[in-house]
Order: sequence, then structure tokens, then C-alpha cells
Amino acid sequence: MKVSWNWLCELLDIPGGISPQAVADRLSVSGVAVDAIHPIGKNLSGAIVAEVRGKRPHPKADKLTLVDVFDGKEVTQVVCGAPNVPNPGEPGQSPRVVWARPGATLPSGMTLSVREVRGIPSPGMLCAEDELGLSEDHGGILILQPSDGIPIGADFAQAAGIPDWVFELDITPNRPDLLGHIGVAREIAALFRQEGVRLKQRSIDLDDLRGNQPQSESAHVVVEDPEGCPRYFAHRISGVHVGPSPLFYRLRLQRLGVRALSNVVDATNLALLQFGHPLHAFDLGKLAGQKIVVRRAQSGEKLKTLDGQERELLASDLLIADAEQGVAVAGVMGGQTSEVSATTTEVLLECAYFSPASIRRTARRLKLHTEASHRFERGTDPNALAEVADACAELIIKLSGGHLAAPPTDVYRHQIPTQQLTLRPERTAAILGLSIPVATQKECLEALGLSVTLDGTRLQVEVPTRRPDLTREIDLIEEVARIHGIHHIPTTLPKLAMAAPTTQSSGMIRYRNADRARTLCASLGLSEVLLFSMTSPERVRLGEGSQATQPLRIDNPLREELSVLRTKLLPGLVDLLRQNLAHGQTDIRLFEVGEVFLPSSQSEQLPTEKVHVAGVLCGHRDFFLKPSVSDVLDFYDVKGLVDQLVIGLGLQLTWQPLDKVEVRTEANPRAVFIRSIPEGAKSDENKFWHPGATAELVSVESGEVLGVFGELHPDLRQSLDLPSAAFAFELEVPGLPIEKQPYVAPSRFPATSRDLSFFVDRDVEASRLLSTMEKSSEPLLRGVALLEDYRQPGHVPAGQKALLFSLTYRADDRTLTDEEVQKAHQKVIEHLRLELQRHETHKIAISLRQ
Amino acid sequence: MNQSDSRAGELARLFDESLSRYQAELAEAKDEPALRVVHARYAGKEGEIRKRLADALKAAPGPDKRAVGQAGNTALQKTEELFASRLAELHAQKRDADLKRRLDVTVPGRPHKLGGLHLLTQVRLELEGIFAELGFQVATGPQVETDFHNFEALAMPKDHPARDMQDTFYLRSEPGRDPLVLRTHTSPVQIRTMLAQKPPVRIISPGKVYRKDDDPTHSPMFQQIEGLCVDEGITMADLKGTLLYFVQRFFGPGIGLRLRPSFFPFTEPSAEVDIECFFCKRSGCRTCKGSGYIEILGCGMIDPEVFRHVGYDSEKYSGFAFGTGLERMTMLRYGISDLRLFFAGDARFTEQFR
Repeated sequence: MKVSWNWLCELLDIPGGISPQAVADRLSVSGVAVDAIHPIGKNLSGAIVAEVRGKRPHPKADKLTLVDVFDGKEVTQVVCGAPNVPNPGEPGQSPRVVWARPGATLPSGMTLSVREVRGIPSPGMLCAEDELGLSEDHGGILILQPSDGIPIGADFAQAAGIPDWVFELDITPNRPDLLGHIGVAREIAALFRQEGVRLKQRSIDLDDLRGNQPQSESAHVVVEDPEGCPRYFAHRISGVHVGPSPLFYRLRLQRLGVRALSNVVDATNLALLQFGHPLHAFDLGKLAGQKIVVRRAQSGEKLKTLDGQERELLASDLLIADAEQGVAVAGVMGGQTSEVSATTTEVLLECAYFSPASIRRTARRLKLHTEASHRFERGTDPNALAEVADACAELIIKLSGGHLAAPPTDVYRHQIPTQQLTLRPERTAAILGLSIPVATQKECLEALGLSVTLDGTRLQVEVPTRRPDLTREIDLIEEVARIHGIHHIPTTLPKLAMAAPTTQSSGMIRYRNADRARTLCASLGLSEVLLFSMTSPERVRLGEGSQATQPLRIDNPLREELSVLRTKLLPGLVDLLRQNLAHGQTDIRLFEVGEVFLPSSQSEQLPTEKVHVAGVLCGHRDFFLKPSVSDVLDFYDVKGLVDQLVIGLGLQLTWQPLDKVEVRTEANPRAVFIRSIPEGAKSDENKFWHPGATAELVSVESGEVLGVFGELHPDLRQSLDLPSAAFAFELEVPGLPIEKQPYVAPSRFPATSRDLSFFVDRDVEASRLLSTMEKSSEPLLRGVALLEDYRQPGHVPAGQKALLFSLTYRADDRTLTDEEVQKAHQKVIEHLRLELQRHETHKIAISLRQ
Repeated sequence: MNQSDSRAGELARLFDESLSRYQAELAEAKDEPALRVVHARYAGKEGEIRKRLADALKAAPGPDKRAVGQAGNTALQKTEELFASRLAELHAQKRDADLKRRLDVTVPGRPHKLGGLHLLTQVRLELEGIFAELGFQVATGPQVETDFHNFEALAMPKDHPARDMQDTFYLRSEPGRDPLVLRTHTSPVQIRTMLAQKPPVRIISPGKVYRKDDDPTHSPMFQQIEGLCVDEGITMADLKGTLLYFVQRFFGPGIGLRLRPSFFPFTEPSAEVDIECFFCKRSGCRTCKGSGYIEILGCGMIDPEVFRHVGYDSEKYSGFAFGTGLERMTMLRYGISDLRLFFAGDARFTEQFR
């Protein structure tokens, strides 16, 4: 909210004088954030008000005018470039302008002199609003009317209430009382009470406003919904002359960000800015039946608001109506039919109190956030209506003539009482950690205008209705802290027993595992990125393939690309490959660990959130100086990476089982295996994965797919404009605690290895052979490694491959003899041969090599 | 000279002759395998010298066998010596040659591409560590939250203007069920924690939060880190002490802070926290907009209304809460001016922070 320093000074008695900056500083550290202070008309001096006495075109320039101005003593000719130089009238009744004479300075810092303009000397210039530092407007020179009441020859800055300072305050939603100058002035008085600053008291005598005119009937107001409108106060003002407000008020409104319209409307806006309470002026002559009815709208009832929009209302909306139709959306915006216009002579001035929740609901639904709704929904003071309405009526009468035509109408069935609160002074110390004397606490609250009495050891506090935020003891403690000064609070550390150790929730286990996944990926050479959880439906479709998981939709997205919650990380990461390549990056390795969101079953309150780890890689492995063909990344790079990740996350990577029944009995939640993607998924319609170079990570226990990795589909690669093959992985971060493996002392006895090579049909997977050998129940066999997978035509029979394995044998208690090793090796080979013959029809030619 | 003597002499001559050929061939051999081949040909199982010795032993009459054997063994021993010295010579040559190697050590090394954690992850881990020193445990919660946990329990009922402070993303929800939102702060984690346990509570809750905002200084998704401490006798002075500890550990020793009263629906009294500008040492600069102070977080004493929702007795317990943006902390410390860089996934940004 914008606040004028000059206006504050009108409302306050400041005996010693304080600077605007000092006020801003103290407000800032006491709970009223000051975002900025703007000087108005700073450096403006020497500009005077002068009357236009004559004008004629510049002989050498179409767009320039020669203007004769009169400063009260003499007439001077000034050259002016503005398009709006007024025509002169009778002396004394002619329009006036602001003339910056030679020697005058403007807010821009410019000092004027006599300057020749296209051959004619011009002593200074006539000023537009921006040149005077009043606004950004440079549409033409500022024109004053005699009715503005600024005498010819007067110093413009002084006469028009310039210079000024405008404070931009950030008022928190709990303090509606600060949404007007009087509230801010009251706060300043409290903060500067020791400097003797006081709020001025002023009362209005309604008799003065009646102007000895005959009194007619009070405005007729019927409140049908006292819940929505607990109080409705109205003045009836007759004999107004609607026209522009004097310059002083126009400038004041403009400075505070409100457009000046007409004297009557300006007066309501000025009252709003002064008291923080919205008012509305109706043209009484346009109200059917000369009557106001406050009621709920009928569902579908229509009303054209002042902004020209036709609004359709609901039965929950509070409406101000006349005898026939709606004339205003209560507390939000007036309607066009009863708008004050140039022909208005009689005004009904509304000053009402509306229920905050009702106004908020209507304003939000209509997306109509106005100065009025902003204040009503935060809570105005129901017991200040008469004071506010009287002051506004006084201003209307001052600016537009007229008089109070009748006693005010006040529909107020149930008085809204002040709050009675109790403050235990020791409670203040218990909350703040600072002992403040009772007398000081009392004095702080009184400074805010609360009435406080000491009752034994307690303070009984009466809170006026302008402070809806003060409803509990704790609220008073905060006020004491603010006014006394929060900087007095000392610095201590909590004296408390260590928080009771809580058992690790599954969420926390996942959180720790997610960090573990991050560390693993970083150690594996990948750089972490963070992407939004929100994504586009297209991206979700790209990642989901044939499984059509419906993403969670956001009701009110920023834009379509961020309208659903992601179900996978990879679609976003894959797009980063493209972006980074576009930036000229070449070898890219990125990963993300983050949440994905999946719909849950009906019985669950919240959707399912899982944490995934995903990565993308393209380009080369680490290379020397210049990459060669053999440095290009391939499937086995991403597989090796996933292997490490899986093990690091506490999962046990096992070889694909030959017999599913046998494996299910293991029931180890950590056991996982890798298999190629099923045939069905190979025809993935989104063409995300390469059907021949993609694998799945599967839980042995549940058969659930925990992750996928492999090469991106060539079509996707092409659509992303990737120069070479790219690889990716995505898996769920397990929610199981990572178990530490028991320590095994390294054997003191040497191991011996034997090679085993043979031809086998190409479609026999390595994992099948490895798993069979490991399950040979030969106790001396300690490891099997695949050393070669050789498929060169000519060297290998058609349809087959040559595999070379290395088998390691060791005993824990002795060095093995050649004979023992040989015997064990034979046993493994025999087992392999038998198992393969039993389960498969593949022919195997096993040859031995030392 | 008897016959056996002459036979012995003949044999010795033959051994000598073999040895000299052996030596010549050793000299020809240029590496260890070649050396071994030569050695095998003379001194191996089937080698010339060993064979000759075996033949001579077979032919020699009993009494001579000893002399024959001695001559043969001498020859064999000699081959071993020659072999060893030639091998040593070859090794020395190789070593000398190797020592003459000169690399251009200024050629760039074979790079080992480093991976790394996102800067925000690094800062989060650091902050978790700082608060762990003060006994704060990490707590987490869902990002899609119920309206109750995100607003109602935090003293922000429906139709409350305080909801305007946080522009909220709503999820499509079914009629009759509590509406779902993307959490606007990590405060619902505090609610969940307090609903699940009795005081003392000392937690921090880091995590992603969402607000409907998008410009250079606001991102629709960002990360918060919030703290909560509840027990008997907790005061605002404790809050101030805790924050001062954090500020000095994170931004540097000697940096002071000030509290400015403010408003949050879930704390009372509430305050914004400013730290002394560490760029200009309070003399006024662009970062602190000339004020000498930088706003870093919001805090306050838990509002009794919040305690009511979680079933804590506000007469018995008191507590404080604070919250800040991870991005803001990070931007301040590293002098990063554009928030969007954190979420753009540009490797040139990411790879700077190792």
C-alpha cells in the first residue's frame, strides 16, 4: 500500500520533527515492512503558477506554440511544444499553467535558463507532470483551473502540496487496520510515543454539514441478510455539483496510485485511503424506489459492474439492490446503472460492514480483486462506520457543494462488541525468553490504543474492533514484543533433552537411499540435475509407452507444459540431452534422483510417491586427446553402471534363474535379476527404447519390474537430433534399509583358475550359463567370470557363439592340489552339460583350456 | 696317462666346445625368451650338454663315472652362470634404454570425467549437517498434500486471506474428499511429525515445494528447509540463538542477525530474519539494496492454534519454527542471480560445482 508522508503529517502531532527515513526504519523493524520510499517533486523549486493570457503558433515550427503567461506582475512570452496549450479566457478566469522560470530547478536536476527555440528566445518552459516529478505522464502540460484555488504567481511546489514522500508498505494480511493512513499514523504514534508523537483528535459537527437546509427523510435501507451485512450506514447528500476535484486532491490520489475521476468519487477514494474503509456513492436518483436492499443474489442474477463486465451471480453472493435490481456486488464493485455521473445531484453514501468470508468467496469466484474487496475480506472496523461516513460526507460537501439532506441511516441490529482479553505478564517472558516489567507491557499495549487495567497480577485488555487480529493472549504478547522492540530478545540455545530417537520411517529410509543413489551416480561420473515435478502430458506419454499410466493433473496449471505430475524421470532428462548438445556440449552424462507421482487406489488419501534414479549418457568414455571408434559408449557401459548402482543400493544382483519355482522360494526382497525386455514391450509404440539393446531389472520375489536401461530407440534419437547412440536408465530407489554385508576375512590360501570355452547357440543367454555353473553345488568353486563372447563368422559355427569363462577355485583351509582343482572343474562342467541338456535342446560342445 | 684320463680329456674338450657355442648364441639372443630357448637347447632336459653327459655316463665304466659326472656338472653350472650374467646384461640394457625415455609431460592427461552432486544437493547436505550439530533430525513427507495438512492445521482455514500469501496448485480431487494440493511449504511435515510423536521434537524438513509463480526470482518449484523445535520452556530467545548458530556456521563467523516482526498464520509472534550483509559489511551494496541487511528467512513461535490441531497442550509446551529457501541460501552464498539456472539442467552450470 502507498502512503503519503504529507498526509501522515496532517494526522499526527510531531513536536520535534522526525524524518521520513527514520519513520520508515522504525516501521520496518516493528512489523510494517517498507518496501521503498519515493521522493516526490524532489529538487523542484522556482516553478510558479501563471495564467495563460494569449497564444499563437510559432512562425517557424508547426508543433510549437508561443504562449503569453502572466505571473501576477507582467506578461512574458514562452515557447511551448505541448499539444494542449489552453485558450486564454478572461483575466483571472483563464486556465493556469506551471511555468519553470530561468533559475528554476526540476526534479531531474535540470536548471532552466533563457534558450532560443527555432529563433525565438524562451525564458524557461511550461511543465508537464513528468517534468514536475508528479507522474510519468508527458502527454501535455499540466493545466490548472481557477477553481483549483492556487493563486497566480504562487510557488507551485508549496501550493500543490509538493514535495512529498510516498512509502510503499507491505501490509501483512492480519493487519487490515494498516490499510489506511490513519492506521499507519496510529502505529507511528505508538512507535514514537517517547518522542511525543500523538494522533490528532478531530471531530465533525454534522450540523455544519446540514448547511441550514431543510431535512428530508433518511435514506431507506433494508438489510435482508444481517449475517452477510451486520451493519449498513448511509448518508443522504443533496445538491452536489459533480466535476473535477481540485488539483491538490487530484495529485494526492494520483500519487497514491488512484485515478482521479470526479469530486464525489474522489472523496470516497480519499476516505478509503484515510480510514482503510471502503465507501460507495450511489446516484440516489437512479435507485429505483430510492431504496437500498442488501440481500443474497438470485442464482443467475446479472449485474453490469463499473468495469463494464456483465457478472453472473450465485445465491451465495451478497448483493446491494434497489427496489428492482442489483446495483452493486457488495463490498467488491459498484454497478453501472447507479453510477455517479455529471448529472448527479443527490447521493446515497454507503459505508457498510460486510462479513469478510462472504466478500472473499465472491471476489475470488469473480476474479475481481478490488481495493474494496481487499479490505473487506481482511476485516474492517464495524464500529467506525459513522466516523468514516461523516468524514467522507464532509469531504464530498467540501469538494462538490451540497449538504446532508437527512439524518444518517444506521442498520445495526447486533452490536459487535470489543474483545476482552487477559494477559499474564509472566507468559510474555515464557514465550519471548525476555522479562519485561508489567508496567512496560501495559504501556506498550496502551500505546496502540488498547485500554488496559491491572487486575491483580494480570492485565485486562479491551481490544477495539479495528484490530480483528488480536483475539488471544498470544496476540497481545506479540504486540508487546513489537512495540517494546524485538531486538531486546536475548540469544540462547534451547535447553532440551535430545529429541527422542524416532524409528526410521520408510520415508526416511527412502530419503537416505536417495542420497546414497546421488553419491553413487556422482562417483560413477554422472552430474546431477534437478527438474520440475510438473511436466507435459506428451512427455508422460513418451515415457509410459504402451503402459498407459494416467498422470495426476493440476487443476490450475501455469501452462500446459507444466500441467501434470511426472510418472518417470527419463522424458525430462532425455530432453536435456538435446538442450545440452545444442549448447555445444559433447560427452554428456547426467542423472536425477527425484519423486514421481502415480495415482493410488481409492482407499488411499494421497497419491503414490516413489523416488526414482535415472540417467542419460551419450558420446564417449573418457578418452585421450581425441576419441577413437573404440571410445564410443555402448550398451555395456550403461549396464556396468546399473550393476554398480544396484549393488550400491543394497540390492543383490543374481543371475536370471532357470527355474522360476525354485527361485520364488528364496523370498529375498533384495534379490533382483536382469533380463531383456519382453517381446510385447519391444513394439513400444513411442519408440523410446531400442528393442534389441534394452534390459529390465526385475525383483526375484515379486516379479515386479524395478527399472529399465539400455539404448534409446533410433527414432527417438533422431527426433532429439542426437549425433550418436544414447543410453539411459531409470530405476526405483528401494525403500529397504541398505544392509551391510558381514565381513569375510580374505583367505590366506591362493586361488586357482581354470578356463572353460565352448560353442553354444547364440540365443542361450550368458546369465543362464553363469547361473547354472554357480548352482553346481561344487564347494570349491568361488567365482565364474565371462571373459570372451566371440561371434566372428568363419571362426564360429553358424548360429553359435564361442564363450570363454574363467572359473576360480579355492579352499579356505589349504592350498589346492592340481588334482583337486581338476576334479572340481570336471564336476562343474558335467553339471553344466547335464542341466543344459535337461532344460534345453541346445547342443553344446565343451572344450577345455588351461 | 691312462685310457680313462684321455676319455675324460676328450669329454672336457667337447663340453668346452659346447659352452663356447652356447656363449656365442647367448650373445646373439636379444631378449629373455630367446635366451631361454638357447639355454634349453644346451642345458635343458633334452639339451646338448645334458644329453652328452648322459651318454658319457652310460658309456663310462664304473670307476670313471664320478669324474665324468663332475665334468658334466661343471659345464652345466657354467651354463647357468653364463645365462644369469647375459640375462642381467639384457635387463640392464633394457633399463638403461627405458631411462632414456622422455615424455612431453605438458600434454594434457587422459581425463577422468568427474560426476557431481547438484549445488542445491550439496548445500542441503551441508545444512542438514549444521542442524544435526544442534540435534535436529531430518523429517520428510509427501509433496502432494491434503488441504488439511498444508493449510487448515497451520491456521489457514478456507476463505482466509493468508492463503493469498501462497499461490497454490490444486490437484483434481473428488467431491467430498479433502482437496489435494502440491504443498506450498514443508510445514505439513511439521504437522505430520507432531501428530505422530510427543515433545520433545527437534526436526528439520527439507524438500520440494510448489507455488504458482514463474519469473526470474520465483520458480513454480523450489526447495525449502524448515525447522521445528518443541518442548517445555522453549522461548523466542532460543529461536534467535539457534538461528544465529546456523547463520554463523553457514555464512561465516561474526555475521549478526536481526529479527523484524512479521506475520505468518502458523506462528505468533512471527518475524522475518535479516543477516548483516556479508558482501559490503553493512556499508550498503546492490545485494542488500543499500540497507546493510539481507532477508534470509521467516520464523516465529508456534501458534497455539497449530498445537490445538496436533493435540499438544500450549500451556505446557512452546516451540519455534523457521523456514527458508534452499535456492535463496545458495544464490546468496555463491552470487548466483538467476534462479532458473538451478532447474535448467545445463551441464555447463552443473559441472562448475564439484
